[in-house]
Amino acid sequence: MSTNIGLCDTMRRECRRLVSRKVYIFAMVLVPVISALFFLTLQSEGLPLKAPTSVIDMDHSRLSHNFVRSMQANELVNITSESLSFHDAMDKLQRGEIFGFYVIPQNFEKDVIGGRDCTLSYYTNITFYVPGSLVLNGFTRMSVTENGEIASGKLASKGISDRLTTVLLNPVDVQVNTIGNPWLNYSVYLSNSFIPCLLQLMIMLMTVFSVVSEIKHGTSPEWMRTARGSLLIALLGKFIPQTILFTAVGYLIDAMLYGYWQFPVGHLGNMLIAMPLFVIASQSLGLIFVSAVPNPRLALSMASLIGILAFSVAGFSYPVASMYGAIGIFSYILPIRWYFLIYIDQALNGIPLYFSRLYYAALLVFPLVVPAVAWHLRRALLRPVYVP
Amino acid sequence: MNGTLHDIKQWFIDLALVFRREMHLVVTDAGALIFFIGLPLLYPLVYTLIYNPEVVRDIPTVIVDNSRTARSRELVRNADATEAINVVGYATDMADARRRMNEKECYGIMLIPEDYSKWTGRGEQSHVTFYCEMSLLLRYRSYLQALTPLQLATGADIRTELISSLGAESMSQGATINAVPTYLGDTQQGFASFIIPGIIILILQQSMVLGITLLAGTSRDRRAANGGIDPLEIPASPSATLIGKMLTYVVIYLPMTIYVLHYVPLFFSLPHIGAAADYLLFSIPLLVASAFFGLTLQVLVKERETAFVVVVFTSAIFLFLSGLTWPRYATYFPWNILGDAIPAVWGAEGFVRINSNGATLSQQEHCFNMMWILAAIYFVTSYILLRIERRRICRGYRPSPAPLSE
Repeated sequence: MSTNIGLCDTMRRECRRLVSRKVYIFAMVLVPVISALFFLTLQSEGLPLKAPTSVIDMDHSRLSHNFVRSMQANELVNITSESLSFHDAMDKLQRGEIFGFYVIPQNFEKDVIGGRDCTLSYYTNITFYVPGSLVLNGFTRMSVTENGEIASGKLASKGISDRLTTVLLNPVDVQVNTIGNPWLNYSVYLSNSFIPCLLQLMIMLMTVFSVVSEIKHGTSPEWMRTARGSLLIALLGKFIPQTILFTAVGYLIDAMLYGYWQFPVGHLGNMLIAMPLFVIASQSLGLIFVSAVPNPRLALSMASLIGILAFSVAGFSYPVASMYGAIGIFSYILPIRWYFLIYIDQALNGIPLYFSRLYYAALLVFPLVVPAVAWHLRRALLRPVYVP
Repeated sequence: MNGTLHDIKQWFIDLALVFRREMHLVVTDAGALIFFIGLPLLYPLVYTLIYNPEVVRDIPTVIVDNSRTARSRELVRNADATEAINVVGYATDMADARRRMNEKECYGIMLIPEDYSKWTGRGEQSHVTFYCEMSLLLRYRSYLQALTPLQLATGADIRTELISSLGAESMSQGATINAVPTYLGDTQQGFASFIIPGIIILILQQSMVLGITLLAGTSRDRRAANGGIDPLEIPASPSATLIGKMLTYVVIYLPMTIYVLHYVPLFFSLPHIGAAADYLLFSIPLLVASAFFGLTLQVLVKERETAFVVVVFTSAIFLFLSGLTWPRYATYFPWNILGDAIPAVWGAEGFVRINSNGATLSQQEHCFNMMWILAAIYFVTSYILLRIERRRICRGYRPSPAPLSE
């Protein structure tokens, strides 16, 4: 039966095509796997500790020296140099030698002992977001600690007990617990979103590419003949081998993420179910592009444009809820958005499948849209015209 | 002597011919125009629009208040008043709060314990626990930036009260040490202000490389169709060919660069304090190096359409090599070596410091020089590759593998 409809023939033909040119294996296997390794090994540590910073000590007193020493003990910053003036420190910052600096004013010790107000100031180069934020955190923490230390000395001198001093210094302690990623590991966040997004980009590109190269080289009529003239069989025959290949690559990525690198995964099984759905949804989106405009240049441009914008618009770093509504809505036409939401629920937070049911359903919608536009493709395949 | 002069003259004539032909090829190729003109024109706008709301405000947050005192309600009111936190409701217990988090109704839970206001009676420290959903680091960062001042301000209020209840008024008049943070570069701590200045440099390099590889792929297609000879190629020496092409791309990109580096930050009032002379001069080695980088990479492109497959994905990799999001000092060293070889990595770092930190060109001379060095290296590599390719053609090789059907 199946031999009659040509599905097996088309699939066999596609497998031959996939091994006939290096570009297929390069783009479908090597690029996703090597990029995954890149993202997973990018960081030499989970958090970039010890950001290079500087201090301007204009007081040069016992107190200020003590303060600088205690700064050195902070894990977030590393005082790599002492600057003589604000101008000197700013010059280092503009050159990129440091990411922030701390200013201890003149008469710091004198004012503290004399009970006069004084102001410590610190500068952080927040335009480099991650190191800038960490420097900010480190400096803030040190200022609070220093303030407390001085205050506790004063309280002790008034005869207040240690226990009461602790309460007076910090009556309410707010402890922040980070669910799912207690190490604040940046790689957990980065790898779980960017690697699948890159996979989506390559799936969409290769889906479009494999259709337009048939049109370009005029082999599409033969492809349709192999499928006995049925567009459905032609598409199934062409894309089932690719689905299998991409899913295998996806599972390899899953094995790296959750197996070798041991990233949090609540329900591994549910992630494994999501992968083929994600692959098929991405292929469907690529097919929708190439059906809408069966022109190599435009279809590939569209897949590239959307595939690259997906890194931003899918809301991995900047939440969709904070984007302009008219922009944020585009995230929902991307399979990666739904896959990302599934990852958050099923891997990172490990909550019941029930809460992710709609995301799985959304991935299933993509292939259902394909028939609505794919009929357009038939004419382009039967009478291929190559417009570069 | 005359012969040498003649050669030099001929070289310049070839250069001019290559320049004219390449310009013609670009303006008659809609695909190349999309990359050279359309991409730099539109992509920076689209990117900035995505991130333009800049900060994350009013994250839905649920409270579990087991204390139910005037004090705890005050804490909740103060939390609600911070920029990051928007209290969307009270949950009866943690299980209820977790359910609401699972339903994505909130991304943070504040748990106030039964004995929250014990400091009033017993003089003990009390603990508030905050649970933060960690799918997005930006939300965590916003929460943290709201909670630290909240903790300090609440503490200060209580302290004044405690001290007066202890009858030790004099202590509250001790020295106050203020600590004032100042944000440099991205003074509003906005997301677009931080990422866009670096992204636009990557857009310049990547769009140029895409365009160059597309043109190279098209030339190979022509060669495949004409028995190994590209009828539109000028028979000039490799150096004249490469420099002529580079000049074409740089000339096309000069107006685009002024638009991208000068006007785009102005459109969205992003940080833009660098001197125009500094960042425009800085962009020249970026363009030259990107052109030769593209002319080197084109060897990977066997036909027009593979340009997309080979080049597009590298944008995501280069973004992370550039140190914009992840600092280069904490990057695994082999990747830093790879990053050193990418013009836009130096370009992004230098441009961000000039544009956002107000650095001068002389303060960024290292990045500037590195881009010139890369330009020289990629000129040599593209020269060698071009000579190898021409020799192959002379031997009668067909560089493009025949498609399946042929």
